[in-house]
Formats: sequence, C-alpha cells, structure tokens
Amino acid sequence: MAEQKLVTITIDGKAYQVPAGENLVDAARNHADNQIPVFCYHPKMAPVGMCRMCLVEMGTPERDPNTREIVHDEDGNVKVRWMPKLQTACTQTVSDGMYIRTTTDQVADARNNVLEFLLTSHPLDCPVCDKGGECALQDLTMAHGPGKTRMVFSEKMHLDKIVPLGDLIVLDEERCIQCARCIRFQDEIVGDDVLAFHERGRTLRIITKSDPGFDTYFSGNTTDICPVGALTTVDFRFGARPWEMTSVPSIDPWDAAGSNISLDMRLDRDFGGRAMIKRVMPRQNEWVNEIWISDKVRFGHHFTRAEERICAPLLRNNGNLNEVSWTEALDTVAGVLKAANGDIGLIVGSGASNEDLWALRQVVNGLGSERLGAWPVTHTGGELIAQVGVGKGTNLGKLGKGDVVLIVASDIEEEVPIWRLRIKQAHDRGAAVIVANARKTRMDDFASHTFRYEAGKAAHWLADLKKSAPEAAEAVKSAANLIILTGAEGLTLEGHAALMQAAANLLIETGHVGKPNNGLLSTFPGANGVGQYYLGYTPEQSVAMAAKPPKVLLVAQADMLADDPSVAAWLDKVETIISFSMLPDGITAKFAKVVLPIQSFAERDGTFTNGERRVQRFYTAQGPMGWSLPLWQIANRLGEKLGQGKAKLSAAAVMKEIAASVPAFEGMDYRALSKVEKQYPDVGGASDSYYYSGTACKNTGGLGVVIPTAADKGETVKAGEVKLPAVPKAGKGEFVIIPSTRLYNREAQFKLSTVVHPRVMVPFAEINSADAAKLGITSGDVVQISANGGSVRVRANVNGGAPEGSVVLPRHLTDEPVPMAITVGQVSKV
Amino acid sequence: MNTLQEKYADRIETTLAKYPDKRSAVMALLYIAQEEYGWVSPEGIQDVAEVCDMDPTQVKSIAGFYTMYSERPKGRFWLQVCTDLPCALKGAEKFHHDLKEYLGVDEGGTSEDGMFTVEHVMCLAACDKAPLLQCNFHNYEHLDMEKMKVLLDQWRAEVNAQVNKS
Amino acid sequence: MNVIRGFATTFKHLLEEPTTLNYPEQVRPFQERFKGRHHLRRYDNGLEKCIGCALCAAACPADAIWVEAAENTDEERYSPGERYAKTYEINMLRCIFCGYCEDACPTQAIELGHEHRMSFTDRRDAIYTKQMLIDPVPEGGRETPQEVEPGVFTRPIPDMENPL
Repeated sequence: MAEQKLVTITIDGKAYQVPAGENLVDAARNHADNQIPVFCYHPKMAPVGMCRMCLVEMGTPERDPNTREIVHDEDGNVKVRWMPKLQTACTQTVSDGMYIRTTTDQVADARNNVLEFLLTSHPLDCPVCDKGGECALQDLTMAHGPGKTRMVFSEKMHLDKIVPLGDLIVLDEERCIQCARCIRFQDEIVGDDVLAFHERGRTLRIITKSDPGFDTYFSGNTTDICPVGALTTVDFRFGARPWEMTSVPSIDPWDAAGSNISLDMRLDRDFGGRAMIKRVMPRQNEWVNEIWISDKVRFGHHFTRAEERICAPLLRNNGNLNEVSWTEALDTVAGVLKAANGDIGLIVGSGASNEDLWALRQVVNGLGSERLGAWPVTHTGGELIAQVGVGKGTNLGKLGKGDVVLIVASDIEEEVPIWRLRIKQAHDRGAAVIVANARKTRMDDFASHTFRYEAGKAAHWLADLKKSAPEAAEAVKSAANLIILTGAEGLTLEGHAALMQAAANLLIETGHVGKPNNGLLSTFPGANGVGQYYLGYTPEQSVAMAAKPPKVLLVAQADMLADDPSVAAWLDKVETIISFSMLPDGITAKFAKVVLPIQSFAERDGTFTNGERRVQRFYTAQGPMGWSLPLWQIANRLGEKLGQGKAKLSAAAVMKEIAASVPAFEGMDYRALSKVEKQYPDVGGASDSYYYSGTACKNTGGLGVVIPTAADKGETVKAGEVKLPAVPKAGKGEFVIIPSTRLYNREAQFKLSTVVHPRVMVPFAEINSADAAKLGITSGDVVQISANGGSVRVRANVNGGAPEGSVVLPRHLTDEPVPMAITVGQVSKV
Repeated sequence: MNTLQEKYADRIETTLAKYPDKRSAVMALLYIAQEEYGWVSPEGIQDVAEVCDMDPTQVKSIAGFYTMYSERPKGRFWLQVCTDLPCALKGAEKFHHDLKEYLGVDEGGTSEDGMFTVEHVMCLAACDKAPLLQCNFHNYEHLDMEKMKVLLDQWRAEVNAQVNKS
Repeated sequence: MNVIRGFATTFKHLLEEPTTLNYPEQVRPFQERFKGRHHLRRYDNGLEKCIGCALCAAACPADAIWVEAAENTDEERYSPGERYAKTYEINMLRCIFCGYCEDACPTQAIELGHEHRMSFTDRRDAIYTKQMLIDPVPEGGRETPQEVEPGVFTRPIPDMENPL
C-alpha cells in the first residue's frame, strides 16, 4: 500500500502530523489524544452531524492578500482567521493548515448547552437503565454537561417506555437522543433498512414496520452502538449492571466466520449462584468481525447452561442409560475399544475444537485405525483451502473498487451472516459481487451480477464460466483482487468437491493466489470445519464409514441423526457406538452404549480455526455442567487407560503438541494466539465512550494467527481436474430436493435459546408456482416431502424462488431429519 | 397485485413515469393510498411499499413526517383550522374552539356520524382571510360560526343526497 | 484521714442512682442517626420502593449486598417502573453498617433501622434475604406482586421536586 500523505493540523496550539483525508474526530483522537465528544458520529459509518456534540472552533491561517504569505503577529505566531460559528468536527476531514480549538469557553459552553438540550426530555432513569454505567450520555454529561437540570420532570416530553422493535429488541422512546446510529447501521452497514424515524420534533420516534418487526440478523448490534439506553435486548434486559460483569474472551461457536466475542459473566441465583453468561458482546477484531456479531451468536448462548445438558457419564444396561462414574465409563469404553481390534471409526462434528480433534485422533490412531470422519458431510475440499485459500493478510473489510467477490452455491446470509455483512460493505465500496445460485437468495440484493444455473450444476457453471457467464468471466479476468466463496447448497459432496476444484482452477489460472485478499473461501458448517481438515478429518471418510460401518464407532459432538434420514440405517449396522455429547440426541437416546458428557465452548479453553484459516483462542468462562469434561480431556484420559501415555493437564499442553506435530500449526502456542495489537477504530481505553460511545469490547484475548496456504509460502500450485458429478434427475412425479440452510433453526443446541423462538420459521418448503399449480398447492398448504427414506410435513411457500421441478427444503426446521444434500423425492399435498 | 395496483394501475404508471426511480414516487403514491383508504392505513403503506420496492418502515416514516398525510382514520370532511398568531388575532382560536364544541369532538377527533374531523394546523398561507379552514384541501375563508353551520349543513345534505341516490 | 475520705466517696456513690442499665430488661434510647439492621421500605399502597438498581451494592465498601433484578409487568408488579429486585440479600457478617447503601439509594428504599441484636449460629443465617428485610405491607396496601391498572406505575423514581 502506498504511504499515506500527511498533513499538518494544529489542535489547541500544538501541531500534529495526521493522514490527509482522515475525519477530524478520528484524527484528534488517534494522533493528538484529544477526545472530541460525539453521539451520532461513529467511525464505521458516514458522519451526519446530527447531535452537535462535537462542535469545535475552526480556522485557517490569515494570508496577506497581496503576497499570499501567512501573516504573523508581533510575537511571531501565525494569525488565525477563526470561523465566526463553531463547526461540527465529525463532518470535517483534516486538511493542511487547519487550526482547531477545543478548550475555549465557547466550545465548553456549546458542549454544555448541547447536553442540556439533549437532556430536556431525557427521563434520567439511570438507576433502572441497562446502559447506566457504560452510557455515553452519562459520561459526557459528567464531563461537559450541566450539573443540575432546569427541567421540571412533569413538563418533560413523555413517550412510551416499552416498545418492542421486533421480538428481540426493546425501545425506550424517552431515552432516545435521536442520533440515528441504529437507523444508519441498518441502512449503511447491514442493508436491511427496517428502522426509520417517525413524525418530527419532540415526538420523533424510531419505528419498524417490516414483517416480522426489525427483520434482520444483526439487530443486536444496534444496542451496542446506541449511545444511550434506548435500545435493549430482551435477553439481557435488567440482567445485570455493567460494572458487575466480567468479560471473558471467546469465539463464536456457530459458523465459519469465527467472530470474536466476549462472554459477560456474573454470578446468578437462577444458576445456583454460579457465574453465568449474562450477555454476549462483540470483541473487536478488524480482520474477522470488526465490531459486529450476528444475532445467532448474541442470543444463542443458552445451551451452555441448559437443564437438558448431560451431566454425568451414562452407561446402557438392559436398554436403559444409567449414570455411572467416569472411571467405570472410561473403563468400559477402553474395554470396548481394545476388543475392536482396530476396527474403529471416529466421526467428529464441526463444533469440536482443534484440541479435541487432535486428542481424539491420537486415541484412534493409537489403536491402529485411520478412519477419521468429519461431520456433516456437506462441504469438502479442505486440501484446496490449504493450497489456495484466501491469502495471509486477507481482510474482507479492505475489498473495494476493482475487486471481485464471486459467491457460488451459497445462501451466505443464512450460512455465515458476518461474511454477508462484510461483503455487502465491500460492494458498497465498489467491489463487484457476483452471485450464482440455483435460486434467488438474499445476497442477490447486494450483487452486481446474479446468475442462475440448473440445480446441482454449480461446478458445471463455474468450470465453464466463459460460456455460461461471459460477463462474470470478464469481471474475474480484470479483477484486481478475486475471492471465490463457495457453499454447498444444492450440491452433493462430490458436487462441492468439483465446485471447489473449479474455483481453485479459476484462481490459479487468473493468478489470484498467494496474495492477500485473493483466494478461496467456503462456508464450512460449524466453528471448526477448516480445523477438521488440518487435523486429518474428512467428510469422505464419513461416507466411507457409511458404506462399510466399523465395529466400534465413536461419535463426538455430531447430531448425525438430525442431519439426514439415511443415517439411522447404517448406524444400526455398527456394533457399538460411543457418544461424546453435550445434549441428549438421537444417538444417545437409541444407539449409544456409553454417553460421555462434554463441555461447551464456554466452559473450557480451546481454539477454533475459522473459514479464513485463522486459529483463534477461546477462554474458560463458565463452570462445568455437572461432571462434564472437555472433549480433549476425555480423549486423553481414555488414552491413558489404553496405555497411550499420560493425560495432558491443560488445553494449552495439547495445543503445544499440535504445534509441534502438525506443520500447519507451527508456532501456535496459546501465547502466540493471545497476542493483540492496536486496532482502529480504537474502542479500548478508559475514555473510549467519548469517541465510540458503544459497548463493544476491546480485544484482550488475542487476534489469532492465520495458517499460511501453500501458495502463501511460495509453493507452486497446479490446477487439478474437475470431476463433474452426476446431477440428481427427477423422474416422473418426482422432485429435486434442494436442502437449504436457515440461520435460526431447531438444531438441538440452538433450540434451547427460547428468546429467538418467535423468529424461527414454521417448517416450510419453497415450491415453484408452476409445480404448485400442477399439484393444486397454494401457499400455506401442508405438504409431505419424502426423500432418502424419511419424510417430513411442512407448509408450502409458493412465492419463493424455487426453480421449476425442484423444492427448496430448509434443514433443521422439522423434528424429523431432512436430507442434507441434493436428492430426489416425492411431494404430495396432505 | 395489491389493491392499489389493481384499482389505480394507470395512475400509478403515470406517476412512476415522472420520476427517475421508483423510490422517488413514494410521496405521490401515498396520496393515492390516502385517497383510496381515506387515510394512510397500514394496508396503504404496504401497497405503496410494494409498488416502490421499499421497506414499509421507510414509507411509514415519510407518511409520519409530512402533516398532509393522515395516519389516523378521518371523517369524510377533514377540517383543518389555522390557529397561528395572525389567525388567532382575528378570532381563529375561538372559532376553532366553537367548531369543536358544535360538532362535539376533541382536537383531532371525528364527529359521531363519521362526517367531520377537526384539527388545528400551522399556517395555511391566507392570513388576510382569517378565520379560515381547509376542508379536504380546499380553503374556506372569512368564516364565523353562522357561516360554518350553513356550510356543515350543506355538506351533510350533499352526502345524504348521494347516499339516497345509491 | 485519707481512709475516711476514701470511704466517704464510696458511701456517697452508694446513695446515687446507678449509671448502668439492666440490659436487656432496660434499653437505652437510640440516637435517631443510629445505624442498625436494614429495612426495605414500601409505599403506602404496598409496592416496594426498591427498584433493583443495585447502586447500594455498588456503593457497599464491604461487598455485603447482592441484588438481582427482573422486569415488572402490570399483571405482576412489585415496584413502580420497569424493574424490581428479584433477589435482595445482605450478608450481615460483612456489613459494617456505614450507611452508604442508604445514601446511594435513589428511591430511599433501603434504610438502616435501630435493630442491632443480631447473632448467628451459622454463616448462612447471616445472609438476610429480601423476605427478611422487607417491611410488612402497610394498612390499606396490598401484598406484592400486585395486579395493577396499566399505565399508572410507569416511573421508577418518585417525582422530583421543582429544581428551580
């Protein structure tokens, strides 16, 4: 990047060198340590100058009209021509020779008066306000405002105090100071403009009229950036005072983005007087999630302390599961494993940490088996990620004009919402976003070009891009930077493998590998889908196990039966199943001989590798539920019983072993992973509220370390052969079933967050209007969809974007499983 | 196809044609919605949002900002009395008060028969003709209660005649 | 001589009234400002004054107070406004009776009374719960939670007097 041009500005009589074009508020804070107070200005959004809090005196040096020389007074100081009125600092960008005064009486008066004005109708109910203690209005009033009010309470404007904005956010109209940060966030950053002002003057209020109200996956962020307590979440409302909570750094356990979060913990009588998660807050990581998180991350934390959790090892005797001691449980498992003579399979879900994956692998390898299956069996191509994944130093937040993001076969808003938010912003900055899918998805709204291909033919489309989409091929050819993001929607495992290969080939052919902001991304499900590949687990192994079931199968953190109706049949053929599970699921209920309770991400240390191959660390926040143990520890103890060496004492020790044994993780001990550096905008420090006035947390837990790709290391990567798979063809009276992903669903873990329930869709399927007419179906009718040996009843949605001859069936909405990959099935009206 | 699109297809088309993009037509379309529903009802908002391809929130926001969109159901005759200072000096405040009393309504309320809604408004730009009111966007000037009663009876009679005819 | 003077002093005091009291039969009157055991006050209608703001807990130098808040509804109302104290506990072994909680309280819900005879045989007994701390419902008032008319008790903090 070119060196930024510097300009000289003078703040309160002292000269500073600052980058040209920087916002004055930012420049004053970053370079002059001068906190110009703001309410409406937010460094992530365009300035609007609504709140008038940032008024400063501004001037330029006086010049002699004849010589154009700068005029000096008798003392040799520059004579400054001050503007007659104060200026809003947030709407100014710095320019050479700018003079600013922030400490004069005039400025102090203005700040005082603006605050008094903002407080004229403020209810001053700080004692009951959730923001009290971390409130910009409180802080700035203390610093600059009047000590006393001249307003009689009964004469203040009184508006409604409890106005639900949708199901998750509650608005207090009185507290609102009308800075429009929430409205601008929804409009500029998210692109769901579902908030707006209504009426004017003192009755100005925030409204939402979308259906459902406040229809977005990012609503929680508005409560963070609200400078007052006007917006609160139903989850945290009155949960705790801010000063009572301890923030523990953690990582989003749901998707490939790996958003950095803070778990704000406080003791609670409702949880037996133990520390529990009161709220989940974003933790700044400008590389990953900036200062935003999706609502699923924010509101989906309840499973960590749910009553449903399995709290003790369970052993099946005469068909019933009984609680037993760890010793007995582990002895039983060790016995079963020894007796299997190496005919052992292991399937691990994508929510397991790197340590868990490594420790379990040691046990299985130690017994002479190499059958390490990744679950779910939807995404593959980890080896291509390792070769031509997005280059080290990639930052989606830096993509802009001339860059291209190509999204194929993914409903990215539902799969990885934070990526969708950041790519939408890249689009706003001028990057070309090309979206290709078999059906209409939300990302189409933020796309420069959209393309449709026949269901299941994503790889065919991409491999022959020049013919199938000449415009896209042209854009890709002339792209300064190119990121290809693949999903697996409407694809079989082979289909996704082919798509990944086609994407990798395109990247290699056009030379977009081994550089920052270039390369391959995929929406691997779960928090550690990429980590699975690096530690030797592949979905192909799981498929192989289905074809030839092992004698003993270890299933860790994978709710397999909920993922596909065909799983039950082959699990039946396994002699003994050992389950490592947090919650009771189909496997623990019917199949498992032994159930070993594992801890959630909040109860233990560990690391996840996110979709961009960033290894990030999460910390212990909550005490364990019952006798549950971290998965890695169970594996280690099991290894000890099997004579494979002493169990490790900490996750850090396991990570050290990984760093020493797996080349990709070289040098990644916990110390390296917890390194932080200064980030901009700076949300840290004692006085951050003056500037940022939100409640995002400073990153103290580490920014993570990215695993370099082969291309990054300068190795030559070669294009491979794309093995185009056969595409399921619907016969007469049959339909192609395209499983899709919903962010809010009824998965075992997410189901326990009852606050989100109103937003989970009633099970539905999208049917093309032509097909619906043939079957005599209208929207709202109940239809039965049968495929892969299972069947579900869902409501038909005829208005959706399903291509003709196919049905889009969201996964994990129904109690019974629906297929996880594209297939054919029957649809009938009930 | 919503109600508005079905009933006013031509007008919507001509309105949309006047503007560079759909979004710009929202205010003109809101008038059509107000005409159809008698006020800017939630259905009207939804219809306009669909035509303009906007979120209903934004349409509602616009309807709320401008006073000539009514966000509450109105009587058949919407009487807006200016009570700003120049009008008040010429007796508009008393006129406004008397009118409400005569019709038995509160500020912004609608008479029992659903005929009249009385509301005070800011300047109607005819101070020299005060007291005056605007009824369904037509000005009636130099009023007093006697003239007003005549007018009210006249309007009632018109409506009754229409009802009888149909 | 000295002996006589000494005894004279002694006998003089025999006739005087003693300065000690026969505690506990007799109790010395307290100064109004004496700080004893805490009370959580109620309004005349029976609603609790405490709004669960936890400012007492924040002010407490001994970390003796534990407050957990929850939301009021008009069907189940404990205190005016949106918030009430679901849990309110004071650890009397920790409390130093400094009265900071009283100063911090925005609704004058917590007051230190004159009760000072507290003894415990178990550390758990030293934790006074909300049930123990709260005043009985005054005459004419109703027990909480109350079902109330909507829109009446919208303010957590009693009306301020005119500040001018």
